[in-house]
Amino acid sequence: MNTPAMSADPHTGITRHDRAIAALAAIAIGIQILEAAIPSPVPGLKPGLANIITLIALLTLGWRAAVAVTLIRVVGSSLLLGTLLSPTFWLSIAGAVATLAILALLRPLAPRHVGPVGLAIAAAMAHITGQFLLAWMVIIPHPNLPFVLPPLLLAALITGSLTGILTAHVLADPRIQRHVRH
Amino acid sequence: MKQGLLRWGDVLIGAAATTVVVAAFTLTYSPSGDARLLVISQAGAATQHEPLDRTRVLEIQGPAGITRVEIEPGRARCADSPGRQNICESSGWLQAHGDVAVSLPNRLTLQVLGAEPGFDSMHY
Repeated sequence: MNTPAMSADPHTGITRHDRAIAALAAIAIGIQILEAAIPSPVPGLKPGLANIITLIALLTLGWRAAVAVTLIRVVGSSLLLGTLLSPTFWLSIAGAVATLAILALLRPLAPRHVGPVGLAIAAAMAHITGQFLLAWMVIIPHPNLPFVLPPLLLAALITGSLTGILTAHVLADPRIQRHVRH
Repeated sequence: MKQGLLRWGDVLIGAAATTVVVAAFTLTYSPSGDARLLVISQAGAATQHEPLDRTRVLEIQGPAGITRVEIEPGRARCADSPGRQNICESSGWLQAHGDVAVSLPNRLTLQVLGAEPGFDSMHY
C-alpha cells in the first residue's frame, strides 16, 4: 500500500480529509514532544499518549488516515527531537508498524464489537512487542533480553488501558462525535 | 459512546492481554529453568555429574578429608569441608546456572548448571 500521506490526488487539491490528517498529526507530534520531556524512571517506558491520536484517526477517518498520522508523527517528532535515523527512531518506527498491523487486523470489528479500550490495549501490546523484536534481533541481540519483556508487557497493558479510556472520553466529545464512524 | 465504555471485544482483548502478561512472567521467571545439574571436578579424578532431582548427601574423599555435599531438587551446597576458613561452605546454596563452590584443601570445585545462563551483568 502506498503511504496515504502522499496519496492526495493532485487534481482535487487539498481536501478536508487531508487537513484533518495534518491537524491530527500536528497534535500527535506535540504530544510526543511533550511526552519526551517527561522524566521516566525506566528508559523507554512512556505512557504513549500520542497513540490516542492514532486511534482517533482510525475511528473517525479510517485506517489509511491512521497510518498517515502515525508515520507523520514518528518522522516529524524525530526531526524535532534530533533522533531521525537513530536507534530511537527505528524503535519508534517498529512500534508504529506493529501497532498499525494489529489495528488493521482489528479494524473490521472496530466500531461495533471492539471499542477504543480494546484497540488501545492491543495497540500498546503490539507496540512494545514490535520494539522488543527489533531491539532483540538487531540492536541488542543478547540472550537475556527476554527477561525485560514481561515488565514491559505489563506496563503496556496498563498504559494501553489508560490511553484507551482517554480515547473513549475524547471520542465522546460532541465535536468529535459528529465524525465518528458507526 | 452509546453502549457505555466497554464492548465484548474490549473485555476479550483485555483478558487476552492479561493472559499474555501472566504467561510472559511465568515463562520467563519460572525457577524450573534454573539449576539442573551439579558438576563435581576434583584434581586427579574423573568429573562427576549429579542431577539435582532428589534430596541426598554425597561424601567426596579428597586429600584433606571428606567434603559433604547436600543435593536437593534444583540446588546443592557444600555442607561440610575440611578447609579451616569454611570458604566452600560459605558459598551457600548453589541454585543459579554457573554458581560455584570451591574447596582448595580437597582440590575440588562444585558447579551447578541450568538450561539458561543467568544475569552476568546489565548495562544500557
